[in-house]
Amino acid sequence: MSPPPDQALWDIPDMAKLSISGVSKAYGATVALSHGDLDLEAGEVHVLIGSNGSGKSTLCKIVAGSVKPDKGKVVLDGAPVAVSGPRAAKALGIGIFYQELSLAARRTVEENICLPDLPMTGPFVDRKALSARAARYIALFDGVTGEDFAANTTVDVLRADQRQLVEIMKTLATEAPVLIFDEPTSALDRTQVDRFFEILRRLKGEGRAIVFISHRMDEIFAIGDRVTVLRDGRTVGTTRIADTSPAEVVRMMVGEETSLVVPAQAEAAASPGAVALSLRGLSGKGFSEVSFDLRQGEILGFGGLHGQGQSAVLRALFGAAPAAAGDIALDGQPFVPANPRVAIRAGIAYVSGDRGRDGIIQGRTILENVTPIHFLRNRLKLASASTLRAKATPALAALNTKFAGFSHPIGSLSGGNQQKIVIARWLIDRPQVLLLDDPTKGIDLSAKADLFALVRKLAQEGMAIILYSSEDVELLANADRILVFNAGRVTRELTGTDRTRFHLYEAAYEAA
Amino acid sequence: MVDAVAQPPRNPGSIKRFIERYPFLPALVIMLVLLALNGLWQPRSVGLVGLTGLAKTYLALMLLAVAQTYVIYAGDIDLSVGAIVSLVNVVIVAFMSAMGGDTITVLAAMVIGLGVGLACGIVNGVVVAVFRLQAIVATFATSIFFTGLALWVMPVAGTPAPATFWRAYGGRILEVPFVFWAVVVLAIMLYLIARTRLAIQLLAVGDDVQGAYQSGLPVTAIRMRGYALCGLFAALAAFCITGDTASGDPLVGGKMTLFSVAAVVLGGSALAGGHGTVVGSVFGALIIGLINSLVYFVGTPSEWQNLVQGLAILIALVAGILIGRRARS
Amino acid sequence: MSMLAEIAKRPLVVALVLIVLLLAAGELLSPGFASPTQIMRLLIVAALLGIVAAGQNLVILGGREGIDLSVGGVVSLSAIIAGNLMNGADSGIALAILGCVATGAFFGLLNGLGVTLLRIPPLVMTLGMLGVLQGLLVVIRQGIPSGRAAPGLSQFVTQPFLFGLPGIIWLWVAIGLLLAFLLSRTVYGYRIYAIGSNEQAARMAGVPVATIRVSLFVLSGVFAAIAGICLLGYSGSSFANVGEQYMLPSIIAVVFGGTSLAGGKGGYTGTMAGAMMLTVLTGILTTINIDESGRQMIFGATLLLLMLFYGRGQAMRA
Repeated sequence: MSPPPDQALWDIPDMAKLSISGVSKAYGATVALSHGDLDLEAGEVHVLIGSNGSGKSTLCKIVAGSVKPDKGKVVLDGAPVAVSGPRAAKALGIGIFYQELSLAARRTVEENICLPDLPMTGPFVDRKALSARAARYIALFDGVTGEDFAANTTVDVLRADQRQLVEIMKTLATEAPVLIFDEPTSALDRTQVDRFFEILRRLKGEGRAIVFISHRMDEIFAIGDRVTVLRDGRTVGTTRIADTSPAEVVRMMVGEETSLVVPAQAEAAASPGAVALSLRGLSGKGFSEVSFDLRQGEILGFGGLHGQGQSAVLRALFGAAPAAAGDIALDGQPFVPANPRVAIRAGIAYVSGDRGRDGIIQGRTILENVTPIHFLRNRLKLASASTLRAKATPALAALNTKFAGFSHPIGSLSGGNQQKIVIARWLIDRPQVLLLDDPTKGIDLSAKADLFALVRKLAQEGMAIILYSSEDVELLANADRILVFNAGRVTRELTGTDRTRFHLYEAAYEAA
Repeated sequence: MVDAVAQPPRNPGSIKRFIERYPFLPALVIMLVLLALNGLWQPRSVGLVGLTGLAKTYLALMLLAVAQTYVIYAGDIDLSVGAIVSLVNVVIVAFMSAMGGDTITVLAAMVIGLGVGLACGIVNGVVVAVFRLQAIVATFATSIFFTGLALWVMPVAGTPAPATFWRAYGGRILEVPFVFWAVVVLAIMLYLIARTRLAIQLLAVGDDVQGAYQSGLPVTAIRMRGYALCGLFAALAAFCITGDTASGDPLVGGKMTLFSVAAVVLGGSALAGGHGTVVGSVFGALIIGLINSLVYFVGTPSEWQNLVQGLAILIALVAGILIGRRARS
Repeated sequence: MSMLAEIAKRPLVVALVLIVLLLAAGELLSPGFASPTQIMRLLIVAALLGIVAAGQNLVILGGREGIDLSVGGVVSLSAIIAGNLMNGADSGIALAILGCVATGAFFGLLNGLGVTLLRIPPLVMTLGMLGVLQGLLVVIRQGIPSGRAAPGLSQFVTQPFLFGLPGIIWLWVAIGLLLAFLLSRTVYGYRIYAIGSNEQAARMAGVPVATIRVSLFVLSGVFAAIAGICLLGYSGSSFANVGEQYMLPSIIAVVFGGTSLAGGKGGYTGTMAGAMMLTVLTGILTTINIDESGRQMIFGATLLLLMLFYGRGQAMRA
């Protein structure tokens, strides 16, 4: 692909360290990456950014050899290369941090760090050399690894941030000239991130070429030299960090379709009804002392940084991970959601953002995916396909779901349509309370628009709805009232004109 | 294993970590308890003669459990180990009875036996790792094939092994029974193998095959080597069977396959792979042996013995898994 | 060509085609192999395996490495219990069926509870249970004389009953229809596939995961018990460990029928064809004039070859 004309304005060295052009990858009907381009230079930190599902990880995995591209070219040091697998990538000098981590849980920290290349003396693993080598990379994070972290600790007893550090150490231990970090900081705290950035700067100084992915805008502007933006599986542009602004980057990420995200009605529901759900001092794993009232016809937003207890509260209400203490009342009656079946029967619906884990029944048909709640709520014994199809059709139509037929496998649909099927299963028999746990993760913009239009309509019909979204724009546009979570507690309530991004950030970032 | 004795747990809470670190400990305790019970009911059973007999009878199962462990490390399973034992048994007995029973022949037979075991292991590795067939059904199919081969080599049981062979197995070196030397050699081998790259790689593959692949490990080759190692140890197990029974039998190993799997689980290794020790499997095999002898010593009526053994093994399997899980939570 | 490839992907079609080819090959090798009486005999043998495989199939469909190694033990036990309860008299058949089904259900229940409540891997749980069952067999066989099949039972299994086919084949067909109905037309069936495909998602969608999994093991025990009764009818009297021959073949029949060992995918119709295929293959091998050793080698190699058609794992690099 020829470079865009304005690229000539940038002082690009003669030859990029790594150059990727026109790579694509599709899984069945789901296109993960339609046209990825990336030019990486030695001695730079190159940020890759794009919303969930925009193809960043796929692009990285293609470079690292663990995903086989359908099309496209990878040029390393001026020569076209075939990255036939992770081993080939290792030999070519490409090291990668995997977002989902590539650690062996029952092996120790030091074994994991050295696993790709175990030091040997004769036929045996040189344990001393292994410990010494691992120690060098562990030492880089001296003082920020947290407690109970040692070279001989097995990875499965570590916290999420510690595991992420191990994966970073493992990546650094490859000593590869090209280093790819796919969301290495998502679980790290401030001091850990600072230390990591110090290391990155040093590596940059050594002339390494580094790809860095993060969703945190502040991190991107703190460490990046250039940024490449991906949208819907396509590279939309590359620019110097110094020449751009967060707002500009967001505009590139969102593209022209921004308007679709924000539905027409952002104002609070005209007349909220009776209290549908009421929590008093609810505490459990990941949240404590949560109290609020949710009214019929209201969309209550859960805000704050990711993982501050929002999901945990929703899962507790649904009985997936019951609360330890506190009271819940549903329609004024005490309610103990011991398990999801109890909650479903009581009229509570829950839509998880983790479709693959909690939502879709992979490998089965659309009909089978849309019916389980209907079975439970009506205590059905027989499953007549024609009756079920007739029941499910209006629910699917309400979401503008596109599908070829009920007997097609769910995997044949795009991510957005899969999520619509999962949501539609709750709409055959209307619940009283709808819990949306980051429901738009990884789905396309038009599907989001369909989803939020429906959510507003359901609220207007009297349903009580809680919406947690990791995307602030969605939250601000769709919630009537927002509870901001910080470290498992509700620290702020935003209503009316307070519902601004400024207040949301202020409450989310203040020390808990 | 040596470290286990050297470093006592630092505080009470670390006992859990200790079991986590040395997953064979519950098996060791169960084994020692069974040994004590055996001694209580039949003091002679824990004497030199009794222990020699125990080792002589169960050395084969110990080796076969070790063989199975290497495959289970990687999250695979080998249901053909018993058939490999049978095949190696009849091959070496047929060879020795054809060539005469002198020492050179015996050694040559053992080399051939190891070669046969290795070849069988490689066949399993190709079928499971390269062709990506389900391990459980594919190794069942190869077990039928290996049994066919064994029947071809020796259609009926009964060809005697030369006296050199079984006398050596049942004999003594420097006044110490041969089987104890064999146990010492086995311990050294296991220690050395545990130090190789393969041991760590097999466990990493069993832990998270995708992660291991993404880390640049040659996953297919590693699983192949696991099966090859399994074949070699199955051949060693066959030597012990041959020494113990002093004859060739094309079906001798058949019953041992499921016991080898049970021994591995008893030893604290995870069937799903990624976690375990070969030492534990040795203890597991001994637990099975000690249960069998204890049931006999306490005077269980003969027709009830199998049932009591079966129940005791089931309880030990379940208890072992529950203890191992509690240690981790 | 692509249509052919599409058809070849359907395990049921593959199995049916292979059955016809195998029958033709059998007829060539030994004329009379595919005669109606011979085919009927093969069908009876296939029905015995097929009924055991029905339970195995359900357990495997339910996922989480579902497998039942104890079926062989239940078959043996059931054959002995049935023989003793009826002891050659038709009047005892009803009691025998009741006793055997209850026994099978009991051991299935134990397996199911171990797998769900104690979370023991199914392979370990059912392997341990197999040891218990084998021990129990020894006790029972030494305590009481091995019974005989009632004439009515033998007749049911071996003699023509309706349209020239013995009752056991009709029973098999009925089980096939029942399972087809259960799996595709009932909520229970939908839920089996759901827990086999994604247990977590199924739980979040209100599926009673543990109850269903226990019920699958109970059904596996019941089907194995029924097969044990029929086996007694087929052989007249029971002998030790008669059921052992069904343990792994029942799994292979399920695999050849296109059910994935990973769970959540497949069905019983294919398994019936798989059981038939295995039986015809064994039948051919016993007909042709070669040594037992050659038979086993050919059998093992053929199984491996056939497996290449079914459920190969995914390549590491997608």
